[in-house]
Amino acid sequence: MLLFREEEHVDRWCRTRDVQRGATLTPRQGWQLAHGWYKDKLKSDWRRHTLEEAEALVAGVGLTGPFWNLRA
Amino acid sequence: MAHALSTSEAFAHEVRLHIFQQTAETARVPQPPQIAAALERSQADVEEALQQLAAGKVLILAPNGGNIWAANPFCAVPSPFRVETRGKTYWGICIWDALGIAAALGSDAVIRAVCGDCSEPMLLEVAVEELKQSEGVIHFGVPAHHWWDNIGFT
Repeated sequence: MLLFREEEHVDRWCRTRDVQRGATLTPRQGWQLAHGWYKDKLKSDWRRHTLEEAEALVAGVGLTGPFWNLRA
Repeated sequence: MAHALSTSEAFAHEVRLHIFQQTAETARVPQPPQIAAALERSQADVEEALQQLAAGKVLILAPNGGNIWAANPFCAVPSPFRVETRGKTYWGICIWDALGIAAALGSDAVIRAVCGDCSEPMLLEVAVEELKQSEGVIHFGVPAHHWWDNIGFT
């Protein structure tokens, strides 16, 4: 997951590397996702999110649609 | 009923706690020799525990060896995603993990990165567990259900 100055830079990066464009989100959404994902990682009783918990986290940040579907 | 940990699971838990506590305190991810010395166990025992932790997606091992590449969100090697906090500099593999370092530490942080395209410096700032300053957009190149197929690329 890379940071870009603007959408046009994402387009150019994908074009020049022949990489399929994925999806973009705002840094605020990125923070919310990272906070939910990692805030407990240093705790003794940390455990991985269940699939359902991860889905709720992703959806809660407003990331919906096929790209954000965690199920294979 | 709570699941009783086997001996190897209990040791892997101990290794996990040591790695993350050390990394949080020092900003450097300890490697098998240091972990073995600190926990007074053989390096083979530590490497077996690391394999368990990697299988459980707790951390990521380097492709060709037993070293830790990332105890995510903490990257063991310098990267373009620098997190300055607590008077130290931590590294994330990607911008998500850089933000995750501030979240895991629960600390105010300045994140210095570069645009993936033009390499211009970019800055994000976290204060009191909120993103106070930001710029740009984050690009996820890989659909969510493939994130762990090649986590390095993701």
